[in-house]
Amino acid sequence: MSLSSIMRLAGATALVGVSAFAVQAQTSGEPIKIGAIVSATGAGAGLGIPERNGMLLAEKTINAKGGINGRPIKLIVEDDASNPDTALSKANDLLFSQKVVALIGPSLTASTVAIGGVTHANKFPQIAFTGIGPAVEKERKCLAHILPPQKLNAQALLEYAKSIKATKIGVLHDAGYGNVVMAEIRLLAESYGVKLVAVEKFEVGATDTTTQAAKVKAAQPDAVFIIATSATPFRNVKQLQMTQPVVAAIGSSSYEYVNAMGPGADNVVIPEFVVGEDPLPHQKAFVDLYKQTYNSTPKNFEAAGWDAVHVMAQAIGKAGPNATPQAICDAMRGPYSGVLANFNFSADDMTGIPLSSFVFSKLVNGKYTRTPFRIAQ
Amino acid sequence: MTLSLVLQAVFAGVTNGMVYALVGMGLAAIFKGSRVINAMQGEFSVIGAMTTVLLLTKAGWPYPAAIAGGALAGALVGAFIEVAFVRYMAKKNASEDSFLLLTIGLALTLSASILFFVGRDGHLLPPLGGEGVLIVLDAVIQFHALWLIAIGIGATLLLRTFFHRTTVGLSMMAASIDADGAATTGINVARMRTFTFVLGGVLGAAGGILVTPLIGVDYQLGLNLTLKGFAAAVLGGLTNPLGAAVGGLTLGLVESLAIIGISSSYKDVVAFSVLIVIMILMPQGILGRAGRRGG
Repeated sequence: MSLSSIMRLAGATALVGVSAFAVQAQTSGEPIKIGAIVSATGAGAGLGIPERNGMLLAEKTINAKGGINGRPIKLIVEDDASNPDTALSKANDLLFSQKVVALIGPSLTASTVAIGGVTHANKFPQIAFTGIGPAVEKERKCLAHILPPQKLNAQALLEYAKSIKATKIGVLHDAGYGNVVMAEIRLLAESYGVKLVAVEKFEVGATDTTTQAAKVKAAQPDAVFIIATSATPFRNVKQLQMTQPVVAAIGSSSYEYVNAMGPGADNVVIPEFVVGEDPLPHQKAFVDLYKQTYNSTPKNFEAAGWDAVHVMAQAIGKAGPNATPQAICDAMRGPYSGVLANFNFSADDMTGIPLSSFVFSKLVNGKYTRTPFRIAQ
Repeated sequence: MTLSLVLQAVFAGVTNGMVYALVGMGLAAIFKGSRVINAMQGEFSVIGAMTTVLLLTKAGWPYPAAIAGGALAGALVGAFIEVAFVRYMAKKNASEDSFLLLTIGLALTLSASILFFVGRDGHLLPPLGGEGVLIVLDAVIQFHALWLIAIGIGATLLLRTFFHRTTVGLSMMAASIDADGAATTGINVARMRTFTFVLGGVLGAAGGILVTPLIGVDYQLGLNLTLKGFAAAVLGGLTNPLGAAVGGLTLGLVESLAIIGISSSYKDVVAFSVLIVIMILMPQGILGRAGRRGG
């Protein structure tokens, strides 16, 4: 973080302390140390950097409101460089050298699985920035997830297809994240009355997917799903003059990709959680504070960072001083109304996000707009 | 499989192939002139394209001037790398492996620098010929892609003429084939090697600028281009820049036809199996023999 953004952060925090909460609450005593691991560099940096920004803002805000029962919190943020091995050594350091009371992160599923050997073995309270990954995670009862499992992302895409009465769907997906979501779509398609007329795969980071898009075009679908973390397929679909509605999974929802989509961004619909340009009423305070602090518009991962710190702080507060890790784990379970979604951390998928938490954004002239469509509870 | 789908695959294959060819030609030119396998050839493309993007959007230069600026940036970085690193290492009789390691290191450093200074965002450039497209039997190709193919062919022919017909081109070849012999005939070997890197830098930058309207540019594009360009250059015969063009087109077409012929899931398996077979049957590359004769 640059000096100027630190200054802005400090300024905005002071502002929050004075305006939003009337009195600047005082914190005293030894800070409560919470460890965090994000991917601030490497392939996962698109997730880790916004998550870190959201977390740091939450730390300042919580401390300005009086911390946890009067004690300030102190976040110790580490970068795993998108590497599971690094995540593991950082986790060891945070748990055993820094003696943090709880852990937030990592950003990536592979890192989350990797550090389970340390966190799960010690029944250590942890909130990961991933949806539930492989089956092994079901055993980890001290772990909560702040982002939706891929099944939920698949359902959100299919719900939207149903709403526009698209029954023949063509899919362009990448071989990483896209593969996982696609597997869920295959399982669910029939129950939504959807026929997958063309499913075309491309490698992560492919610079051209025109031929795959042409195969989807030839199958004449009613709508096209794009599941990727890149702008390429969006441009190719446009270049082939395909006119079908395009619905994209949350993975490509950031200006980093949208700017690179060019005209391919037009009218793409994305099921996601936070449209910073037009937030839901309960998201507005966070969005405004974030804009003031960082001079940019937050999206899903910033909100995830914010929510993760708040959930953890609340659980630590509820468990009381000198609580055992198990007590914090137990306090973490249960419903939580966050900025990102309405969580229920006692659900089987350890996130409990309902489909009704999705909002659907549409890209118009390269900007996000929020559509009125929501999925009923 | 319809005719239109096949044609679409051919359009995509030729377009991608020409991009691989431009990167591969730069690689082959540098290899031909200095025996250095340049693992940062794709970074030249990123530097050229990013410079053009910044000059166009941030400095407000007119597009042609920004393109010239991007190409110049490629040339300057190429010259700098030769003067600052390669020349020094060559004096100490560095091996081919050391040069490879140097360029791998430079590729990572440059990519990280672009990330640091320009950021993670992808950028596009305006297409030559506007957003217009040519439609043949329902298959679509952008005007820009046609420009890219035309300029790629032009560059290939120019490069061939340069190496065969000009004093500088011939001197560059001589300097790389037999440095001592060339020096005795009065050729400044070190300067020829600098020219080689300038040429590679310009070719790489041109490829990057041309491809950006189609695929966008970001800090991590370089490695991707280097790998495909390297495959193209080896396939065609590494000592022959013309071979890189043939290799690039072969690779592009095999990839896209594999998608429609078999399945996009097996695209790389099919494409690279074909490449392995070609390399077994023609270990010097498709045009490798011609290259040995100085082609």
